[in-house]
Amino acid sequence: MTIAIAGGALDAAGTGGRRWLAEWQLALPLGLAFTGFFLAPLLILAVVSAFDDEQITRIGFAQWIKFLGDPFYWKVIFDTLKLGLLTVGATVLVGYPLALVYLGARPALQRILLFIVVLPLLTSVVVRTFAWIVILGREGVINGVVMALGLAPAPLRLLQTEFGLVLALTQIEMPLMLLPLLSVMSRIDPNLMSASAALGALRWRTLFRVILPLSVPGLMGGCLLVFASSTTAFISQSVIGGARLVYLPLLIWQQSLVVYNWPLASVAALTLLISVTACIAAISLIGRKIARHVDG
Amino acid sequence: MTFSAFDRRAFLGAMAAGGSLVLAGRPAFAKGSVTAAMYPGSWEEAFRKIVVPALKTSKDVELEMQPLYAVDQIAKASAARGAPPFDTFVLDPGPRVSGLDKGLYEKFDAKKLTNLGKLPEGLVDEWGATVAAQVVGMAYNPKKLPPPKNWTDLLKEPWVSRLGLTGFQTTFGTVSIIEIAKMYGGSETNVEPFFTEIKKVLPKIATIGAPAAMAGLFQQGQCDVIYANTQTVSTLKSRGVDIAFAKPETGAVAFFTTMHIAKGATEVENVYKYIDTVISAGVQTELAKSPYNFVPVNKDVALGSDLPMKNLDEMSKFVRHDWAKINPLRAGWIERFNKEVAK
Repeated sequence: MTIAIAGGALDAAGTGGRRWLAEWQLALPLGLAFTGFFLAPLLILAVVSAFDDEQITRIGFAQWIKFLGDPFYWKVIFDTLKLGLLTVGATVLVGYPLALVYLGARPALQRILLFIVVLPLLTSVVVRTFAWIVILGREGVINGVVMALGLAPAPLRLLQTEFGLVLALTQIEMPLMLLPLLSVMSRIDPNLMSASAALGALRWRTLFRVILPLSVPGLMGGCLLVFASSTTAFISQSVIGGARLVYLPLLIWQQSLVVYNWPLASVAALTLLISVTACIAAISLIGRKIARHVDG
Repeated sequence: MTFSAFDRRAFLGAMAAGGSLVLAGRPAFAKGSVTAAMYPGSWEEAFRKIVVPALKTSKDVELEMQPLYAVDQIAKASAARGAPPFDTFVLDPGPRVSGLDKGLYEKFDAKKLTNLGKLPEGLVDEWGATVAAQVVGMAYNPKKLPPPKNWTDLLKEPWVSRLGLTGFQTTFGTVSIIEIAKMYGGSETNVEPFFTEIKKVLPKIATIGAPAAMAGLFQQGQCDVIYANTQTVSTLKSRGVDIAFAKPETGAVAFFTTMHIAKGATEVENVYKYIDTVISAGVQTELAKSPYNFVPVNKDVALGSDLPMKNLDEMSKFVRHDWAKINPLRAGWIERFNKEVAK
C-alpha cells in the first residue's frame, strides 16, 4: 500500500483495481464451494424437473403440469407457507417480550439470558423434537396435568395437530429469532429511552415509537430465519406433525427416496424454494418499508 | 495487502489439491477391506459389535460401514452412476427389486460361499444372498388391549381408536396394508378395499405417523397397537415396554433381507468373505440374541422363543409378496395415502 501512495495518482488507480481483485480472492474458497455445491446442483435440479418420466429420458413438463394442476398440491404449498407464518408469529409474540427483558437487564444477567437462548442450539433438533412427543403425547406432561385437574374428560389430541406442531417449532426455532433481535437491540442507545421519557412519553409510547422501530432490522432478520427454517423442518414436521399434515419437505422425501420419481421431487423442491423465497422477499420488503418510514 | 503472483499460484495449487482430495471421494483402504452399506441403528450397532471382529479374526478383512436405509442406498448408488460409494447393499425386497430394475448389482456367484449349504433352499440367487428374515404381524400393548386376532381387527374397536398407522413408505407398512386389503377382497395389486375401509374409521385412528417415529409414539402411549416386525417387538420388550407380538390368523408375513454386490465394487473377493461371515453359524447365533433379535437364516442356529415359528421351514408357509408387481404401483399408493389421510 505504501508503494501505491509513493507511485502517484495514475498508479494508485491500477493498484486499487488490483487490490479489489485481491480482496475478491478472499471470497474465492466460499465462492467456489457455493458454485460447486449449491449452484451446480440447483441447475441440475432444474434440468431434472424438465423431464416427463422417472428414467429421465423424455424432455417435457408433464411433472410440472401434474403438480400444479392438482388442487391437493396447492393445498400442500399453502399449508407449508401457513406453517411458516404461524411459527414466525408465535416466535415474535413470545420472543419479543424476552428481548425487552434482555434490553433492560444488567450485563451479568444479559450474559445468562444469552446463554439460555443459545442453549437449545447445543442439543440436536432430533432430541428437541422427540422431547416434544413426551410433552404433547396422550400420556404426556400437558395431558397429565389436564387429566389430574379434571379439565377434560379424555386426553387432548395435541400431537399431530397443527397447533402442536407450531408450539414445538416455536421453541425449536426460537434461537433463530432471538439472536438477530438481541444483537440489534443491544446496540440501541439507552439515552434514547431516557430522552423519550424526559419528553413525556409513557412506557408504551416509548416501546412503540422508539424501541420497536429501531429493532425492526433484527426482527426482520429473525422472521426470515424462522420462516425459512420452519417451512423446511422435515424432522419436526414428520415426527410431530405425522402423516395427517402433509408439507412440501415430506413430498420431496417420498418422491426422491421411496418412489424414485426424481423429476416430480425436483418440481416439489423448486416449488418450495420459489415459494419460500417469494415470502422471504415479501417479508424483507415490508421490513425495508417500515425502516424507511421510521427514518423518514 | 495483496497476494503476490507466487502467493496466488501457491494458494490456487493448495485449493486444487484440496479439491482433488474431496473429489477422490472414498479414501483408499489398506488391502483386505470392504465397504458395506448398513441400516442405521440396531443393525449398524450389531454389525459393529459382532461382524466386524468376526470378519477381522476369521478372514483378516476390515469392515467399513456406511449407515444408509435401503431406499437411500438405491438413491445413492443410482446417483453415483457406476462408481458406488460402497461395495455391498443390504436391502428389503422392495428396494431390492428397484435396484435390479436399475441394474445396480454385479452377478453373484453363490459357490464362493462356504456356508452356502447352511442356508435353506431359495435364499440365494444369481444376484445375492439372504442374510436375515423379517416376520411382520401386529404388535399391541397387552396391559391395555386384548390381542388382535386378524388384520381386520385393527380397523375395529377397541383397537382402531388406539391404532398407530403408517403408509407405504416402508416394506413392513406396505405388506401390512396389502394384508388388510386382502381381508376385504383386495389383492397384492389391489389395495382399493383398504382405502374404502380406512375412510370409514379415519377420525378414530389414534396416530398416523412417520415410520421412524412409531416406536417412540408406542412407548409414549400415543398408540397401543401397530404393525411391526418381531425384531422391533423384541427390542422394545427388552427395554421394558409393554408390547407383545400377535400373529394374524391368516399367517404372519415373511420377507427376507438380502445382500448384493454393487456394480463397480472394488473389493469383490472381500465381499464374498464378508457375506460368508454374516451367514456363518457363529455370527448368526450372536445376532439372534437380545438386544439385536435378528431372525437367523442359518439352519444350524436355533430360533428365538419369541418368534411365531419353530424352525425356518415353517416360514415357507408364511405369506410372501411379489415386489416386481408391487413396486410399479407404489408411487400411486403413496400419493393416494397422502391425499386420503391428509386433513
